[in-house]
Amino acid sequence: MRRFFAPLLALGLAAAGAAQAEDTLTPLHFQSQGALGSIDKAAAQRGFLVYQTVCAACHSANALHYRDLEALGLTPDQAAGVAAGVKLADGSAATLDSPFKDPAMPASAFGGAAPPDLSSIVAQRKHGTMYIYKLLTGYAAAPQSVNLLPGHYYNTAFPGGQIAMPPVLRDNAVTYADGTAATAQQEAADVAEFLTWAADPNLSARHQIGLRAVIFFLFLSLVALASKRGIWRERA
Amino acid sequence: MAETAATEASGHGTESRRGFLTILTGAASAVAIGAIGWPLVDALNPDAESEAGARLIVDVADIAENTAKAVQWGGLPIYIRKLTAQQIADAQAVVPDTLPDPADFMSRVPAAYQNYVVVVGLNTGTPCELEGNDPADPRGDFGGWICPCDGSQYDPLGRVRSGPAKKNLAIPRFTFINAAQIQFG
Amino acid sequence: MTTDAKQSWAGERMPCLGGLCGALFAPRCTPEGKYLDTLPGLIAIALAFLTLSGAVMAAYYDPWHAFASVQFIRREVNNGWLVQAYHATGATALFGLVYLHLFRVMLTRAYRAPGEFAWWLAVKLLALLLFVGWMGFVLSGGAAGYWSLFNAANAAVSLPGAPGAVARWFLGGPAAPASLARLEMFHTVLALAALAVAGGLLAARRKVAPQPAPGKGVAFYPYYLAQYLAALAVFALIFSVLLFFAPHFGQPAVNALAADPLTLPAGTALPWYLLPLAGVADALPGLWGGVAGVAGALVVLAALPWLDRAGPDGAKGKLYCALTWILALDVLALGATSAAHDNPQAPLLLGLFTLWYFFHFLVLTPLVTAMEAK
Repeated sequence: MRRFFAPLLALGLAAAGAAQAEDTLTPLHFQSQGALGSIDKAAAQRGFLVYQTVCAACHSANALHYRDLEALGLTPDQAAGVAAGVKLADGSAATLDSPFKDPAMPASAFGGAAPPDLSSIVAQRKHGTMYIYKLLTGYAAAPQSVNLLPGHYYNTAFPGGQIAMPPVLRDNAVTYADGTAATAQQEAADVAEFLTWAADPNLSARHQIGLRAVIFFLFLSLVALASKRGIWRERA
Repeated sequence: MAETAATEASGHGTESRRGFLTILTGAASAVAIGAIGWPLVDALNPDAESEAGARLIVDVADIAENTAKAVQWGGLPIYIRKLTAQQIADAQAVVPDTLPDPADFMSRVPAAYQNYVVVVGLNTGTPCELEGNDPADPRGDFGGWICPCDGSQYDPLGRVRSGPAKKNLAIPRFTFINAAQIQFG
Repeated sequence: MTTDAKQSWAGERMPCLGGLCGALFAPRCTPEGKYLDTLPGLIAIALAFLTLSGAVMAAYYDPWHAFASVQFIRREVNNGWLVQAYHATGATALFGLVYLHLFRVMLTRAYRAPGEFAWWLAVKLLALLLFVGWMGFVLSGGAAGYWSLFNAANAAVSLPGAPGAVARWFLGGPAAPASLARLEMFHTVLALAALAVAGGLLAARRKVAPQPAPGKGVAFYPYYLAQYLAALAVFALIFSVLLFFAPHFGQPAVNALAADPLTLPAGTALPWYLLPLAGVADALPGLWGGVAGVAGALVVLAALPWLDRAGPDGAKGKLYCALTWILALDVLALGATSAAHDNPQAPLLLGLFTLWYFFHFLVLTPLVTAMEAK
């Protein structure tokens, strides 16, 4: 269903008018990182497309509502359209739920390794944004010394090196509306940016308000210190 | 002592500069307290979830004539019914004054979409959800709704016609956004 | 209206208001105010701020769905992320202020008579806040908080006799949402108690503050008000840097995971302000060792006015001052070692640092102060 719906979604996002993407892969960098970082909305929109087309087949992000996507630049109609595309009764108020109706289903279907919820995955891992990118691009042929468990894949970024999630990203797994070449690396970077936003939707606002607050309190500190000195000096 | 003399010598310049600094500090502190306090006040405003829930949007284009759709809004069962031409004609033919709770046709339907009836589907007598949304359901003698608990009967406009109930069905706050969608709240 | 007129107008109508005016306008304070003297005031303000932000969060917090409701506050409530960050960063700032205040009193030896009552109140405030802080950490509903509660509840079940009964009464049995509901209540009640203790600390310090020479005193208004404003502004600057650029400062990352009996953090995962005491508890063997370690660490701190043998008029010694600095480093090292639980040397280091902590109070303090007083 979600796969079938992807082209429609891509068209919808094209209307959202994402800016022509710049190259963030050489060298690899994320706009959201750093003290004053902000979410790259174009990348996060592309990342959502990847999430919805690929990741959502197994993973939920149930702290997010479809209406929250409006913060990434989707119009209310588009958010409602995305929700309608996955046949949700209550429209954009719905959360990005697990595709599995039976809560015990995923673990049994994946040999015991349940796909984790992705809402806050970036906050849960050290250097979460980079971790997501490295995990998704970290699949490699297992070295001779590693004895893989059945149904597991060798991944250089995963603790222990063996992961139950198969490599899912490949070139052109999605078609980007803004014309960005959908290489596997690009998709991984975009999903990492999307999940960074998902874990901390207020990141941009936090940094923006923070900068203003620090400047304001720096000013207030100087004025208050000067005022105190003036008042105390007058006493003499 | 020498310092005091120097201060006096410099006169009003120092004095007014200090006054300015004091006022600036006081004003900036007031701004800071306001800015810090506002999020605490604003956080008690309705949150995004209840805002979204309070302004429910319902699709009405998929309702077939002579059937009603049931939705939940504000904890109430809301019935949205599409009338047939025959039901409209019948309802307009009734003289309001003969009814237990007189109400004319226009007071029961939205002015721009007169073939829709939107009511709270709760019996006004014994509290009970009404039956009769589907044409196959029991609807009583007036082709509207019937209460399975006390047998009160309503016509397709939700006006009470018989039974212990004495009031017409309540009409919730709603508006038609367009021909296909209703927004509540 | 003159100051005196204000005082009598208010004083006639409401004597305690007259007292307040007197306190604000009477020249009772010494003219040599230090910025760090504002610390107890800042502690009270930070506590009041935490109470306000906590009250707002209580409107949305649900102990039966703790993690989801915190996520709700951060994602759905207007400015909820900011209010939640106020509370989390506020806790960090409050503990920073309390630790700093305790350290400063130790360094200036203001705990000696007649300051011992103010010192006890400060230690009591620390003990209360550590408890309240732990409960707040558990209430977040994260995996680390759950694990901590799970351990505490298991320990409570295994305790014999009255202590076990009290612990079970407090936690309401094994780790369960029911525990969080009562912990929310205790968190609120004890936080208000801490507010009262902070008020007591302010009052007690006012009594023991050095008196100005006759005719040389200054009034709170405007002199100390200006000083408080300046101190608050600098505090707000540091606070906003933490709030906006390090909102999860000192919190274990694993707490971003929802509480789940199947997801357990490896080793100690506690907020920074609990780490030094957790280190002391870990260094001593067994459950009783841990309990005794935590209680003992606080008791020797409270007993400092007696352990200092120099007497009220004793000289300030350089050696004891240096030892106090070493103690501060020791406490920092305890916290750092407690956080680095993976290190194979950690148990040995924790033992050493704990030993030094008690050695400092029980042996070095009486010896060195008595020696330096001569």
